[in-house]
Amino acid sequence: MWTFGRKIAAGFTLAFLLLLAIGAVAYRSISLLTSTSKLVTHTHQVLEHIAEVLSLLKDAETGQRGYVITGDEAFLEPYQTGTTDIHSVVKELRELTADNPNQQKRIDQLEPLIAAKLDELKLTIDIRRKGNVDEVTKIVRGGEGKRTMDSIRVVLGQMDHEERDLLKQRADEVESAASGAKSTIIYGTMLCLLFVMVTGFLITRSLSGQIGAAVRHVQSSSAELQSAANQQASGAKESSTAMTEITTTISELLATSRQIAESAQRVAHVAEETSAAARVGDTTVQKSHDSVNGIKRQVDLIVTHMLDLGKKSQQIGGILEIINELAEQTNILAINATIEASGAGDAGKRFAVVADEIRKLADRVGGSTKEIRTLIEEIRAAVNTTVMATEGGSKAVDLGARQFAEVTAALKQITELLGTTTAAAREIELSTKQQSTAVEQVNIAVSNVAKAAKETEVSSGQTLQTAGQLAGLSRELIRLIQATANA
Amino acid sequence: MTTPSFITAQAAELRSVFDKARALPFTLSREEQAESLLAIRVSQDAYAVRVNEISGLVTDRKIVPFPSPIPELLGVAGIRGALVPVYSLAALLGYGAEAGQVRWLALCGTEEPLALAFGGFEGYTQIPLGQLYSAGQKDVSRMYVTHVAQVTNSVRAVVSIPLIRKAIQEHCRSGRVHKER
Repeated sequence: MWTFGRKIAAGFTLAFLLLLAIGAVAYRSISLLTSTSKLVTHTHQVLEHIAEVLSLLKDAETGQRGYVITGDEAFLEPYQTGTTDIHSVVKELRELTADNPNQQKRIDQLEPLIAAKLDELKLTIDIRRKGNVDEVTKIVRGGEGKRTMDSIRVVLGQMDHEERDLLKQRADEVESAASGAKSTIIYGTMLCLLFVMVTGFLITRSLSGQIGAAVRHVQSSSAELQSAANQQASGAKESSTAMTEITTTISELLATSRQIAESAQRVAHVAEETSAAARVGDTTVQKSHDSVNGIKRQVDLIVTHMLDLGKKSQQIGGILEIINELAEQTNILAINATIEASGAGDAGKRFAVVADEIRKLADRVGGSTKEIRTLIEEIRAAVNTTVMATEGGSKAVDLGARQFAEVTAALKQITELLGTTTAAAREIELSTKQQSTAVEQVNIAVSNVAKAAKETEVSSGQTLQTAGQLAGLSRELIRLIQATANA
Repeated sequence: MTTPSFITAQAAELRSVFDKARALPFTLSREEQAESLLAIRVSQDAYAVRVNEISGLVTDRKIVPFPSPIPELLGVAGIRGALVPVYSLAALLGYGAEAGQVRWLALCGTEEPLALAFGGFEGYTQIPLGQLYSAGQKDVSRMYVTHVAQVTNSVRAVVSIPLIRKAIQEHCRSGRVHKER
């Protein structure tokens, strides 16, 4: 399918070619007319020169006759003028008819005749000047001069006749060329007008259809564009609002990031201080560990001593058992002695008193033994409790020692971890600073984006306005096209 | 807690009391108006035995079981160079076999001695005769108990050794009659 430009270019090209053809034909006709007119003018010049040659010869003859008749030199002026100018005129005539061999031949014939005539005139004038009128009359009457003049007239008449034939022929040619140019211009112009009208009609019809369809398409597209611009405007507004919120959020994020960086710096500082304190604590714990080990040794010694004390208490208990048994046996013996004494009558009564005292003593010893046993038991219980407590203390000291070892290990680990924490905090600080820088860049970028979003919002408004104007223009175009089609 | 100085003081007191008893003049009036009793415990019950009814008190003697139709007879034991039959005082008093080790033996009689075994000996005591009541007065009806003694804050049934010896002898005789038949 041909495009608008191609169709218009084709129409204008054809019109241009037609105009060029018409112009070329007209130019050719006008050139022909001009050249023919020049030839006519040239012929008129040749005719004028022929007439001038005859006129100059007549003037010379007239002067000769006047002088011959009167002898007055004043009559020689035309003669002088004619004889002076005739050669140049003949020369010009030769030049003007250079393209005509016939006329050149006639000029070749004419020049001796003119020379002969001028010689005859000069001869008569010279003779007259001498005063010999008769001889002059005789020469004139001889008729030589008249014959020469007649011959000149014949030649000039032939030349004039030929030139007039040429003039007629060239006039016909001029008329023919003018008629052809006129016909070419009229018919070519009409043809061109007809072609332009037809082409214009066809192009207009074609363009009206296509432009109408295109304009309707543009109208629908502009409506869609308007809708899209509306959406884009609302979207751009939302984007602008969102970007403003994002900017605010990023600003808060930036502040938070800076706070994190400061916190990380403080954490690193605190971690370093804590690491130093942990190292001091490690040394202190090591000393405490040594002290605990010393306490453990002392406690072990105490346990050993307490166990010895327990053993001694047991031995005392054993001895006390023996004493108790002895007291019991003494008591039994005393009772038996009392029984025996009671069986011995009065003689046994004193012994019974002694036995009773022994029994009482045994009772007291038994009571004391019980008390001592109680004491021993208390001591043993206390020793056992102490041993158990000491063993518990020893275990606690062991546990404490182990825990101290664990605490030492933990403190070492804490020191190492604090080193790691310090490094990590520094890395966090560095990263957070980099993050802050990045967030600042992001903030700037987002600000630019927000600005761009606002500009987009404005552009969307302008696009919407332009779409509206485009829709209006489309309607106007459709109205114009439909009006043109209706018209 | 009792201190060592207290123990030393107590030992000194004991020594003083013993020496004082030896130093005092001998008198019989107090002993004639008092009753000497052995405070014992049979199956957790408090009893008393008159000292003048027994011929001796021994402890921790090996009792060899002896087959007998008399259930109260625990066996025989060697006491003061003679084999003495040992009877369970708890069984005789109607408690049945006493739980635990019976380590105390009260030797009764000299001609045909026998021993009464009981679980606990709480000590020797002397009470005024006014604190010794007949079983009827205290409304106590137990076998072989004729009197009741008020010892300090408690009341103890006083086992009559002669009644027990008599009962054992009757048991022995009836057992012998059964055996002869």
